[in-house]
Amino acid sequence: MAQLIQQLINGVSIGSVYALMAVGYSLVYSIMNFSNFAHGGVIMVGSYLGFYLLKAAKLPFPTALAGAALGAALLAVIVERIAYRPLRTRSAPFLYFIISAMGASMFIENFVVATIGPTFKTYPAVFSRMPFEIGPLYVGRIDVLIFVTAAVCLIGLVYFIDRTKLGKAVQATSFNQRAASLMGVNTGLVVTLVFAIGGLLAGVAGVLFGMKYTVYPQMGGITIKSFIAAVFGGLGSLPGAVIGSLLLGVIETMVSGYFSSNYRDLISFTLLIAVLVFRPIGLMGKVTEEKA
Amino acid sequence: MRDFLDLNWIGLYNVAKVMRVYGTRQSIWEVGVLSMNFRRSVILTLAATACLLLTSSVGFASLGGTVKLGWIGSLTGDQAVWGQCELNTVKMLAEEINAAGGLLGAKIQVIGYDTRGDAMEAVNAVRRLTSQDKVVTIIGPNTSGHAIPISSVLEEMKVPDIATVATNPKVTVVDGKVKPFNFRVCFIDPYQGAVAAGYAYDVLKFRKAAVLYDVADDYSQGLTEFFISTFTQKGGQIVAKEAFKFGDSDFRPQLSKIKAANPEVIFMPYFFKEVALSANQARELGIKATLMGGDGWPSEVLIEMAADAVNGSYVVNHLDFDDPDVADFKARYTKKYGLAVELNGFLAHDAFLVFVDAVKRANSFNPVAIRDAIETTKIKGITGNINIDKNTHNPEGKDAAIIKIVNGNYVFQQKYSPK
Repeated sequence: MAQLIQQLINGVSIGSVYALMAVGYSLVYSIMNFSNFAHGGVIMVGSYLGFYLLKAAKLPFPTALAGAALGAALLAVIVERIAYRPLRTRSAPFLYFIISAMGASMFIENFVVATIGPTFKTYPAVFSRMPFEIGPLYVGRIDVLIFVTAAVCLIGLVYFIDRTKLGKAVQATSFNQRAASLMGVNTGLVVTLVFAIGGLLAGVAGVLFGMKYTVYPQMGGITIKSFIAAVFGGLGSLPGAVIGSLLLGVIETMVSGYFSSNYRDLISFTLLIAVLVFRPIGLMGKVTEEKA
Repeated sequence: MRDFLDLNWIGLYNVAKVMRVYGTRQSIWEVGVLSMNFRRSVILTLAATACLLLTSSVGFASLGGTVKLGWIGSLTGDQAVWGQCELNTVKMLAEEINAAGGLLGAKIQVIGYDTRGDAMEAVNAVRRLTSQDKVVTIIGPNTSGHAIPISSVLEEMKVPDIATVATNPKVTVVDGKVKPFNFRVCFIDPYQGAVAAGYAYDVLKFRKAAVLYDVADDYSQGLTEFFISTFTQKGGQIVAKEAFKFGDSDFRPQLSKIKAANPEVIFMPYFFKEVALSANQARELGIKATLMGGDGWPSEVLIEMAADAVNGSYVVNHLDFDDPDVADFKARYTKKYGLAVELNGFLAHDAFLVFVDAVKRANSFNPVAIRDAIETTKIKGITGNINIDKNTHNPEGKDAAIIKIVNGNYVFQQKYSPK
């Protein structure tokens, strides 16, 4: 029993990392209707920023976290300006956005390899590695931090989208960009805003991921998992992204823990395909005509 | 503008070449499977071409009176730390010999290519070194996964290779037959796994062991296999055997399972980055068992990342870092590069010695003559006596060093070979 609960805790902690990344994906998808593959690159740059702010500039952790988040947000906006906006103004087909996103992602990764270097870096110890002990259970301090941060970010985001005027504009744009712009919503600004928020979350996710594991140029690759989690939960739905991520984390852990770690990806992806076959919009996805 | 056009032409030429290699050497099906790698290598080729363009004029200008020595290994990715150290070592030793008059009167020119941690790239690099650069011998690579697939090219082009830290048996011997052009200067996996198991059972008196290993890696599987067979032969019990896949960074599901089996020792035969992550996570889950590992462990990075978690762990290594025999090389390297020598540097050093010795005895730069001479190598390297066995192409009778990690230091325990 203790082992089952411990494995659940492990699963939720892995899922929380996916969730932080998946929310950024879903947010952009809900507005732009395409998958922003450059998100992984933004996460990676955020992680490096946090690393240097902590290690070289020796800033306290909250300041470094905020700095990395702002830096990543700026990068996300720049990517949107350079890689997506020209396509959007020309109403380019959906496929071009994906290609452009892949290009941006490769550019960012290789830029970091060329300038910073290919080897991984280790965050300085901000938190003690000593876990909280609850009876026979062990909960890592960083895991608690990640879970709380993911929860706070999501609640903040839901509040922003549901309760503020700008949030309403985001919603309107996601329903119908053309109609929203006819109603006087500055959709260009909304798109920038959405990318900035996605970037903020990416920066936070990058720093937390880097603290938990390590920082390296290819770390954006893990966002494949979070992208899948976002599809699983329903692209475009924020609660869906979170629930999909947590579920994916728990399923992976349970498969490794009780079946065999060799089959982990095989089984979790089979499950994903099954979900998509029987419920193509994901668990909580919004119904749209175009699908990624 | 002219330069830009030239670059493009050479780039296209290389793309065409890569396509030809892929097209003729592999079935359509494989091309489909490898298409991601393929696209990658096209991009890499374009990038490499840009670099070549900058350096080629230098390379061709000094053709006379030089002998070319190839090197391959990872200069990017997780193992870049080691690859860079190997290349630095080989370059430094070549410069030293050149300054002292050269080898048989010729200057040694070292040509190193990055394998990018990719077996396909390793094969491409060997092809480039043998057909384009015409090297007489190749040193490296440092991992078995890359050293195994290159042998067909070596045999086709008849150029010998001396692997540094590729410890899988299949690097030199397959199905009981020795590969004519593959050699190595390190001991092999069975030996390493057996050393760890023997030491754990006979010296540390452990009876219950668990293994966590990388299922996607030949090296890790080889060590695991031989650790388990030796440990159970001696009468020990393997209480858990868990796998992960390269690229994973969370091992807690497996570790939670291992914890429930309550082992006295956990054998972790993989590389230092995963070792650091999994050791930290093991301690976070409250696992107190002793950890043991092979030659994938030793690195300053491991200490930096997980000093507390790996404190008290045992490592099987090729040599002792504090051995007086290696002190002189360590001092020279640190003086030149301002860095500490990683494990691979010592093995690359001895691979270089084997090459120089073979060229001198062969009194020739003919790759086949060098190969014949390597087969009868009997030298004293800084990592121990290297007596190459004709039938296995391995250095026979090398002792392993058992090292304990104590408060962030690698402390030599004893020389050990399992009975």
